[in-house]
Amino acid sequence: MRRRDFLKISVAGAAGTSLLAAPRYVRAAEAIKIGMPAALSGSYAQYGIQAKRAADLFSKDVKAKGILGRPVEFIFEDTAGDPAAAVRKAQKLVEKDGVKFLTGVALSSEALAVSAKCPEWKVLFMSTINGAGALTAKSFHRYFFRVNTSGPMGARAISLYLAESPMKRFFALGSDYAWGRDSAASFTQQITAAKKDIVGSDYPPVGTKDFASYIAKIRQSRAEGVYLALPGQDATIYMKQAHQFGLNREVKPIMEILELENMKAVGDAMVGAIGSSRYPFTVDTPKNKEFVKRFHELHGMYPDMFDGETYEGLEWLAQVIAKAGTDDVEKVIEAWEDSTYEGLEGPFLMRKCDHQAVQPGFAVECVKDPKYPHPIPKILATYPGDKVTPKCRTEEFS
Amino acid sequence: MAHVLEQLLNALALAGLLFLVSAGLSLVFGILRVVNFAHGVFYMLGAYLGFTTVALSGWFWPALLVVPPVVGAIGALLESSTLRFIYRRPPIYQLLLTFGLALILEESIRVLYGPTAKGVDPPPLLQGAVDLGGVLYPRYRLFLVVLGCTVGVAVWLFLRKTRAGLVIRAVAQNSEMADCLGADVVRVRTLVFGAACALAGLGGVAAAPMTTAYLGMGIGVIVDAFVVVVIGGLGSIGGSMAGSLIVGAAQTWGAFYLPETAMVIMYAVMGAILVFRPWGLFGEEE
Repeated sequence: MRRRDFLKISVAGAAGTSLLAAPRYVRAAEAIKIGMPAALSGSYAQYGIQAKRAADLFSKDVKAKGILGRPVEFIFEDTAGDPAAAVRKAQKLVEKDGVKFLTGVALSSEALAVSAKCPEWKVLFMSTINGAGALTAKSFHRYFFRVNTSGPMGARAISLYLAESPMKRFFALGSDYAWGRDSAASFTQQITAAKKDIVGSDYPPVGTKDFASYIAKIRQSRAEGVYLALPGQDATIYMKQAHQFGLNREVKPIMEILELENMKAVGDAMVGAIGSSRYPFTVDTPKNKEFVKRFHELHGMYPDMFDGETYEGLEWLAQVIAKAGTDDVEKVIEAWEDSTYEGLEGPFLMRKCDHQAVQPGFAVECVKDPKYPHPIPKILATYPGDKVTPKCRTEEFS
Repeated sequence: MAHVLEQLLNALALAGLLFLVSAGLSLVFGILRVVNFAHGVFYMLGAYLGFTTVALSGWFWPALLVVPPVVGAIGALLESSTLRFIYRRPPIYQLLLTFGLALILEESIRVLYGPTAKGVDPPPLLQGAVDLGGVLYPRYRLFLVVLGCTVGVAVWLFLRKTRAGLVIRAVAQNSEMADCLGADVVRVRTLVFGAACALAGLGGVAAAPMTTAYLGMGIGVIVDAFVVVVIGGLGSIGGSMAGSLIVGAAQTWGAFYLPETAMVIMYAVMGAILVFRPWGLFGEEE
């Protein structure tokens, strides 16, 4: 009996030791790990899930060659859209899993919290979703990179479009948190600069389920257009209710982000809404057509804004790591600054001064097209990167 | 004047929805002495099942009739298979259990339906808006006002005027005594839990055309429902009505007249009640 116990323990011990020792032998082909503390559950899950879908496609595309001949490994953690949880999960990814790159963070509030920790961790934060202007202005640091169009940039694109339109009076409705308030402020500033009027503004709390009071106010303001910076679900509910109140016919909905997710949920009540798009999947470039096809094959759906933006971020990051010849964070940062990349919707440039990717901006309209099972974004206008990107480390435009 | 009417209707429509959810929450606490964290999820389940029924049948009305009993049956089944065994344990067990049930149900819905919100159209009769003296008001919201009032009166009459209602009230007041007098307490608890879930399910079906069916709608509504129940008094149907009206008014009028403080108003009322009348407006001091 004793002997058997002894044998058991030693076998277990030996197995344990070999497990501990294992990493030493495989280090030669160690994976490049990318950590994704994404909102995969909770109200904002759709954004985290988009990041994950993009990562799944990227994994598939890069599988054969890897980056620098090394495999790429994504590690996902669910933050449920909570900034405190995001920091905790990011810390776990950095300290326990040893990731050097963090991305896929869904909400700006989470991004501000996680990004603030990155200089201390010496980890690169790549935003592909986060819109808050502050990330590349007040809260900027050299470990932060934003591949996506920011909130102020989206507001800029749609303001440029509206400056040409006959509409004169606008109401701004922004969700009561960093991104919503930033976008509404940016819109107000630019519309005023275009000699048009903001006749009212309001900031409903995130997760508002009844917009009736706001709808009444918008109607009373006699605005011709209402600018909406509402995240995912809130935008869906607003559009549905504004349609029931008959408001969409009187006051043109103008959305900071016009997402497929909303178009699918709201359906025909959404047709006619205009807005900016970070990435409309209908962009007519050969590279994008190819991407949309691959994406549809893998996921059985058309890519939404952050499917596209996250995929671009990952592809660009891989390009930069290849250029640096290493995944050393400091070297990657140097290689990325002032580098260019051919994105899905056109040329990208990573500005050295604030790590904001300069890229084309779009004004789109939600339209019906019998070729698709849901309404789609039709591109009304495309603006070159230098017209829609703010002055360095600010949220202002020249 | 028309605008005042619009604000009044907005408050009533929201109160109607809140009542359908909080009535069950209050009832379950009154009879089972359990704070049911899973209650909001039954509301969400109602909305999603409503979406499915409308998608399959192409009609809204059957959903309103079929879904509540189904949600109620699921609730009763869960009560008799889980909650029943831990009534005698400290309240923390019941909290943990209902919270766990909420998470399981919510994630199951996510797996089944995916993350995209599901839009439900109101029935043709209730689509569009009517002109109320210069203000366009959605027909569907008027329906919500009527539905809330009707269900409120029906539940109240049931509890006050029927024999079954009498038994339920007896169990609420003193379950051991009711047991001794021949009431089947175990069965009453299961039925009440099921009925409460059915009410929440009805609320969910009714809410779907207004808010769409979406993940997280249960959590959002349960917070408001708790405030309603604290204000109105746990275990009191009249209290749920009053609480729903107060919270509905605080939210809609607050957002309209004092937007920056809208969220605070509701909690300020709740805080005041907790300080001066901790058992709620219609609750009974214990």
